[in-house]
Amino acid sequence: MWQVIKSVLAAFFGVQKERQRRRDFEEGRPGHFILVGLGAAAVLVGLVVLVAVLVAR
Amino acid sequence: MSRRLAWLSGSGVMGLSAQAQASGWNMPVGVTDISAEIYSLHMTIFWICVVIGLVVFGVMFYSLFRYRRSRHPEAANFHENTTVEVIWTTLPLLILVGMAVPATATLKKMYDTSDAELDVMVTGQQWRWRYEYLGEEVAFTSNMSTPRAQIRGEEPFGEHYLLEVDRPLVLPINRKVRFLFTADDVIHSWWVPDFAVKQDTIPGFVNENWVRINEPGIYRGQCAELCGMDHGFMPIVVHALEEDEFDAWLAERRDEAAEEALGVDRDWALEELMARGEEVYGAICASCHQVEGQGMLPTFPALAGNERLIDDLAWHSDTVINGVSGTAMPAFRSTLNPVELAAVLTYTRNAWGNDTGDTVQPAQIAEQLAR
Ligand code: HEC
Ligand SMILES: [Cu+2]
Repeated sequence: MWQVIKSVLAAFFGVQKERQRRRDFEEGRPGHFILVGLGAAAVLVGLVVLVAVLVAR
Repeated sequence: MSRRLAWLSGSGVMGLSAQAQASGWNMPVGVTDISAEIYSLHMTIFWICVVIGLVVFGVMFYSLFRYRRSRHPEAANFHENTTVEVIWTTLPLLILVGMAVPATATLKKMYDTSDAELDVMVTGQQWRWRYEYLGEEVAFTSNMSTPRAQIRGEEPFGEHYLLEVDRPLVLPINRKVRFLFTADDVIHSWWVPDFAVKQDTIPGFVNENWVRINEPGIYRGQCAELCGMDHGFMPIVVHALEEDEFDAWLAERRDEAAEEALGVDRDWALEELMARGEEVYGAICASCHQVEGQGMLPTFPALAGNERLIDDLAWHSDTVINGVSGTAMPAFRSTLNPVELAAVLTYTRNAWGNDTGDTVQPAQIAEQLAR
C-alpha cells in the first residue's frame, strides 16, 4: 500500500525511478493505482481550495 | 502614407504605437499606486526570465561547443538521473510560487473596491463610452472627435489622432473612484494604460475596478475588445483634476443637467432644435447613417429622402426611442435625454431635403417616454 502511494505521489510530481516503475508494472494491480490516484487528485483539489480561501480572507 | 495604409492604421494600430512612443518601449509606470506596483511586478518577472534565459541558453551553447562532434565523435549513452530531474522540477515550482505571492497580493488590492468616494458607471456602446456619476445626476457620452477627413487621409493627422474625444471623463486626484463597467450591445473593454485598468464591459454584467490617481493630467486609452466596425474609433480620455477643481466641475455639470431638465417644459424653435440636433446626429448617428444621411447599404438605411420617415412621425420617433430589436439600430430611450431626442428627430425630419417642417418638442417626447 505504501509503495502504491509513493508511486502515485511520484507520478503527481512527474519524476520516478526506473527501478520503481518496473516493479510497479510487474507486481502492482491497476485498480489500486487508479483508486489511490483519484484520492490524491481529490486531496490536491482540496489543498488548492484551502490555499485560495486562506489567501482571499 | 498611402490611403489604404492610413485607413488600416485607423483601425487602432496607429493609436497603440502612439501610446508606445509616449512611454518608450516598456509599459508605463502610470499614475496610480497600483499601476506602479504592476510595473514593478512586470520588471521583477522580466529580470527573472532574463536570468533563466541566460542560464539555459548558456548551458546549451556551452554544451554544443564543448561536446561538438569533431572533439567527441562517440556519443555518450546514458538514461535517467533522478536527482537532476527532481532539481529541475522543484526549481521552477519554487520560482513560480515566488512570483505568484507578490502578484496575488497586488491582485487582491486591485479587487478591493470598498470605501470608494465616487462611483462612476462606465457603459460601452457601439462606438462610444457613456459615463454616469452615480448619485450626482450627471451623465454624458464621450465620442471620438477626430475628423473623418483625417481618417480618410484627406487631412494630415492631428497630434492625438484617434485618441481625442468631445467630452472627456473628468476625475479627481487623491480620491478612490470606483468604476462599474457594463455595456449596452456587445463586449467592449475600457483600457487606460496609465491607470493599469483594462476591464471588459459586458452586456448584462457589472464588473468593478477602481483608481486613485496621484497626479493631475490627461490620460488616454482605447477600447480593447474587438466590438465591430468602429472599434478603433472609441477612444477614452480622462482629465484628472485637483480635488477642488473637480468639485467645481461637477457642480457646474449638475447645474447644466438641471437646466436641461427645465428645457423639457418650454417650447423650442425649429432653428434651436436643428442646431442641437445636428450636434447629436454628428456625435451619435453619423457613424452608421453617415453625415449626409445617405446611410451605407445594405446594413444602414438612408435617412435622407426616406419616405417612410417623412410620412410617419410616430414610427420615426418610435424607431429612435426604442430601436429595432435584432438589428444594429440601438434604443436611445435611456442614452439620450428628451431634449436631445426631440432635437435629433427634428433634425432628421428637416435636414438633407427631408423638409417636413415638423418640430418635435421635448415635452412631446417626455410624454412618450413616460408612457
Ligand atoms: C450602430 C449603428 C446605428 C446607429 C448609431 C444609429 N442607427 Fe439608426 N439604424 C441602424 C440600422 C442597422 C437600421 C435598420 C434597422 C432595420 O433593419 O430595420 C437603422 C434604422 C433607423 C431608422 C429607420 C430607417 C428605415 O428606413 O428603416 C431610423 C429613422 C434611424 N435608424 C434613425 C437613427 C437616429 C436618429 C440615430 C441617432 C440618434 C441612429 N439611427 C443611430 C443603425 C444605427
Ligand atoms: Cu468597443
